[in-house]
Order: sequence, then structure tokens, then C-alpha cells
Amino acid sequence: MSAHVNSSRITTDLLPQKFGTAGRIWTGLLLGLCLLGLYGYYRQVTLGLVVTNMRDYASWGIYISNFVFFVAISLVGSLITAIFRLAQVEWRTPLTRISEIIAVSAILFASIIIVVDMGRPERFTHLFLYSRLQSPIMWDVIVITTYLTISLLFLYFPLLPDLPILIKNSKEGSFQQKIYKFLGSFWKGTAAQFRINENAVRIISVMIIPVALGVHTITSWLFATTYRPGWDSTNFGAYFVAGAFLVGAGAVLVAMYVFRRAYKLETYITEKHFDNMSKIVVLLALVYLYFNINEYLVPAYKMKTSEEHHLRSLFTGHFARLFWTAIITSMIVPIVVLLFPKGRKPFPAFLIGILVVVGSWFKRYLIVTPTMLSPFLPMYDVPDSYKFYFPSWEEWAISTGSLAGVLLIITIFTRLFPIIPIHETIEEMEKNKFEKV
Amino acid sequence: MRLINYSTGLIAIALCLLAFLVQAQDKAEKSTIKIDLAYYQLNNNLPVVKVSAKTKKEKRFMPVEGVEINLFFGSESSSGFMGRVETNSHGVGSLSLPVRFKNQFDSSSSFKFIGTLTQNNSFDDKSTELEVSKAKIELTLDEADSVRKIHAKVLTYQLGDWVPQPEIEIKLVVRRLLSDLQATEEETFTTDKNGEASADFSLNIPGDAQGNIIVAAKIDDNETYGSLVSTKTAKWGTPVAPDNSFAKRTLWATRDKTPLWLLIFPNLIIISVWGIIFYLISLISRIIKLGKTNEPV
Repeated sequence: MSAHVNSSRITTDLLPQKFGTAGRIWTGLLLGLCLLGLYGYYRQVTLGLVVTNMRDYASWGIYISNFVFFVAISLVGSLITAIFRLAQVEWRTPLTRISEIIAVSAILFASIIIVVDMGRPERFTHLFLYSRLQSPIMWDVIVITTYLTISLLFLYFPLLPDLPILIKNSKEGSFQQKIYKFLGSFWKGTAAQFRINENAVRIISVMIIPVALGVHTITSWLFATTYRPGWDSTNFGAYFVAGAFLVGAGAVLVAMYVFRRAYKLETYITEKHFDNMSKIVVLLALVYLYFNINEYLVPAYKMKTSEEHHLRSLFTGHFARLFWTAIITSMIVPIVVLLFPKGRKPFPAFLIGILVVVGSWFKRYLIVTPTMLSPFLPMYDVPDSYKFYFPSWEEWAISTGSLAGVLLIITIFTRLFPIIPIHETIEEMEKNKFEKV
Repeated sequence: MRLINYSTGLIAIALCLLAFLVQAQDKAEKSTIKIDLAYYQLNNNLPVVKVSAKTKKEKRFMPVEGVEINLFFGSESSSGFMGRVETNSHGVGSLSLPVRFKNQFDSSSSFKFIGTLTQNNSFDDKSTELEVSKAKIELTLDEADSVRKIHAKVLTYQLGDWVPQPEIEIKLVVRRLLSDLQATEEETFTTDKNGEASADFSLNIPGDAQGNIIVAAKIDDNETYGSLVSTKTAKWGTPVAPDNSFAKRTLWATRDKTPLWLLIFPNLIIISVWGIIFYLISLISRIIKLGKTNEPV
């Protein structure tokens, strides 16, 4: 951030702004996609799961892939906000709220999409009423609920010092002001309040890391505790966490660029932020590539008969094009491009961020579906539709609707709240001034 | 005008003819059905009559589901009416001989079963008969000097007496859950002039907790005597201790039998984490209280 910026300028720059034409079109588009998804879900609820293309073998399809993707992307909250805070990474300030709102909205939709995958959604309560701690699904329910709660707190506590600024700068009696007052009219900015707030943020920063690692490790156990080709791995927890950090960091790169352009935040989200985040993406892509080599090369070297169909379907078979595209776009290209300073400039970094996110979505699809279509016992005397899987339009509509839902929450949040913490930014500026003096 | 009248008349006649043809076709559209009866007797109990119904569709016999076949014992009369059987999705149904026919069954050396289908909307009336001569198998299991032997003797009921029946094909088996397991080296035996067949038993198979297995001698679908099975329980199997692990605290048990370690450690983690979360929520209320008591800075 430039040294010449004063506190009133920061406040003006970072206050939430009304949507322009592009913002309204964007919100309308997201709402439309959500409505289409709701219509698809209405058809699924009324006609049954038969409207999907999931059958006896591929009983986990695009919904579960989407679920894993959402859980993965939500881990970015703990990476940027907690790990960077504990490591005292100073340039993190403009990115903390972006990553935390991505985390909250993604984990919220992860829990929604899992209900969508259920044939009898009204029996969701059975998970709690008849829960068995022996089941990894129950562990996932517990840990996702916990992570969502902690993420909400992690979003709320740092927001408190900004709320009086928002109350002061909003129209008297407006809907927004009512929300701000409800959330933070009690914040007077006293030393005692700041002390409690900082204490709370410090506690959450420590606590969210094991919970975040737990949430994705347990999601990986949903697969790894099942004896199937491609999932029977002791490495799955670390493999999933590494992939999650990568996709989360990629999503932050994209969000940084979009918010910077849309709200003209060039002073706050600088090229240095892109440069640093890009370097982190390179590191995470290298780690994830390492895990991928472990996951695929070792089984391929042994090529056990039971795993052969699955591995060949990925390397050279039905899923080969998608598999290699996902590996290249989400790992190889980011490593190569972001190694060069020109690649770490905002626009190239934004494009690479998109590649990472899209490639990572397909990577989740490739973790789930090919395994389902490679059972240990050969598929015999079954209809052709059981042997292949390609999502139906209802599945695409619901999944796209859920992705749009995540983006809609982020969009509405940015309309109501500053996407870069105002108070923390002012504090940082004053600290810099003081150090210079 | 006259042309129109002629045309109307012709159309009316054509429609009448068409209606007549359709009605005639409806009447002729009833399919033919094939009904088979089979006789099955286990351990000299009252026999069971099995019914199967098939019809020909596209040059193949297909099972007929849901047809009701009337079964008669001896004669097709109200006094011989055994009952009515409805076929299942495989086109099969069965009925035991009612107890009221026991005396008649015990005193007869041969008997007749009749199956009829009448007043069915889809099929023509059909009647079929099955004649059976009464026979039984006497099964004996011996064990001497660690050699186990199965003896089977086939007897037929003739003129009020049981007479040995030679030249009958018989199988010696062990009854298992889904099907019969061949108990001897040869698949089938033929009874000798004394109506007997015997073989060594050398299988080493699991039995129940006491090692009990069910050994059987059976005649399969004989033209004259039907299907007969005679069984005996012997401690010739390896005792298998029942797996009661489902009632213990295991990973696959019901939730009230969750392993203790899985109850203690996750709950400790859950309580610790949620304890901190509730503490954080209490911090919010402390901030609220401070805000109400303090003036803005």
C-alpha cells in the first residue's frame, strides 16, 4: 500500500459500493443459474434420483465431486487467515477477508450439496438421530459443522472494528445500516473490546488449522476407508489437503484480480500481492504434483490386476483426455508460468488461477467417478447405462447452481461489507508511518 | 347427392364389418397356456404339488405370472379339490396335499393330481394331469472304524406292502444353504435288485456349532415316482463356532455398541473444540456488555 494514503481515503476506497451495470448483470446471471439449479433439484425431488445418470455402479457422481471441491476450496480460509497470521506474513491483510468469505460460502454449499446427493433428503435428520460414530460419514458431518461455525466466527470477529465505520457511512435507517447495527452497534472500540477481539482471533487462528486439516482429511477418509481401486491409499489425507491448499490459493488469485478490477483496489491489492500469492501457488502446485506422482506412479509400476482397469482408464482410456488436461492445467502450467516474474503479474496470474480452479474441479471428478466405474468384480449382465457415467442436465444444472450460489454469497457479501478490512488497513498504515518516523 | 348417399351407406357397412372383425379378433386373441405339475415329497411327509405355467411368445416359452390354477386330488370334483395356486413371477406355485386327504394318500399305491385353468381372461381353459406311484427312500448312516457310509433303499408301495425297487437313479447329497452338495465321488447311483445303493462319505465340510450336517438321498424328477428326498442329521461336519461379534463393540456393530475408544477419543476432541467455540461465543457477549457500559472512544 502506498504511504501517501490517509485514513479517510482508505475508508472511502474500501467501503462497499453499489453494483454498477456489470455488477447487476453478474448478480442476475448468478441468480438465474441458482434458479435453474433449483428447478433441476425440484425435478430430482419429485421424480427421484432416476433423473440423474447415477446408477448402481457410478452411485457417486458430479455431486460428490462438487462436495469434495467445495471442502477443498474452503481450506483457503485457514491458509491465508490463520497460517499467514501465525507466521506474521504482513502482506496478508487485503486477502484475509476474501479468503474467509470464500471459505464460509464454500463450506456452506458443501453441506448443501451433500443433502442434494441424498435420495431421501427429508431423512437428513437421521444422520443426527441415528448417528453411528463408526461411520466416516458421521465424522464428516461433525467436522464440517465445526469448521463452518469456526469460519463464521473467523469472519465475524475481524469484521467488528469495521462495523462502526459502516454504520457511520451508511444511509440513516437503511436496510444495510440495520444489518450493521444488529451485528455491531455495541462495538465502541474500547481497549478492553480490542483486547478481547484480538484474543479471540488469536485463539481461532490456532484452532482453525487442525480443524481445517481435519475437515479435508476426513473427507479423504470417506474414500480411503473404502476398499476400492484408486482410493485404497494411506496417503489420501495428505494428498487431499495439498490439493485443497492449491485450489484455494488459485481461487484467491482469481478473486484478488476480480475485486481489484471491479472496485479499483490497485492501491491495496498490489502487484506484490500477486507476486507473493503466485509464488505460494507454485510451491503448492509442486507439493500437489509430488503427491500425484506418488498416488499414480507407484500403483502403475505394480499394475495390480484389480487396479489395472482404473489406471488404464485414466492414463490411456476413457478418462485420459480429462486426466491429463487436469494434471497439466492445475499443476504443470501454473508451475511453469508462475516461475517467471512476468507470469506473476496480475492478469497472467489471474488466468493461471482460473486454470488451477477449473483443473482442480475436474481433478475431483476424476478422483470420484473412474473408481466407481472400476469395481473389483467385473460388470456382468447389466444395462449399458450402468457401465458409463456422464451427468444428466439436472445434475449439471444443480452443480452449476451450487457453484453460482457460492459466488452469489461472495457477491452479496461484498455489496454489504468491505472486502478488505478497513480498520486493519488503517492500523497498518499508521504503524508504517510510525516506523518511518 | 345420390353418390353421397351411396358412399355413406358403404362407409356404414364397412364400419359394421370392421367392428365385427375386431370383436371376432378379440375373442380369438386368448392365448394358449401350458401347465405342468410336479410331485415332491420330503421324508414321507404329505407331498407337495408344484405347478408351473408357461405360454409361447415369439417362439419362446415364457413364464406366466398371476394365473390361478385349481388343483384336485384323485378326481376333478368338489370332494377332490385341494385348493387354488397363484403363480409367481417365475410362473411357479406350489401346494401341500391337505391333511384331509391323508388316509386316502396312505392307503393308495398310486394317485392322480389334476390342474385346471378356467374362466381366465387371457388364456383358454386348460386341464392337465399327473399320475404318480407311491415310493419312499429309507436312509441309513453308518460309521465304523472311521469309515462313514450312506445307505439308501428305495421302496415302492404295491398291494399294501413296501417292495424294494431296483434300477432307480438316486443321488446322495449334503443339504447346504443354497443347494445340495454332492456327498460322494459319483454323482448318481442306481439301486440294485434289493433297491439299495450305498457309498462312502468322505467330505470334510463345516457343520453347525455341534458339527451337524444334513445328509440326504434323493430321486430327482422320476417319471413314475416324482421327486423324493429323505434326510438325516449326522455329526459328520466340522463344528463351527457361531460368529457373535455383531453383538460386541465392533466397527460394524449398531451405534449402541460403538467401540469404547471410538466413543472416548472423538468425544473428547468434540467437547474440547466445541468448548472453545462456546468460549468464543461468550467473548462476543462480553464485547456486547462492554459496549453497553462504555462510551465511544
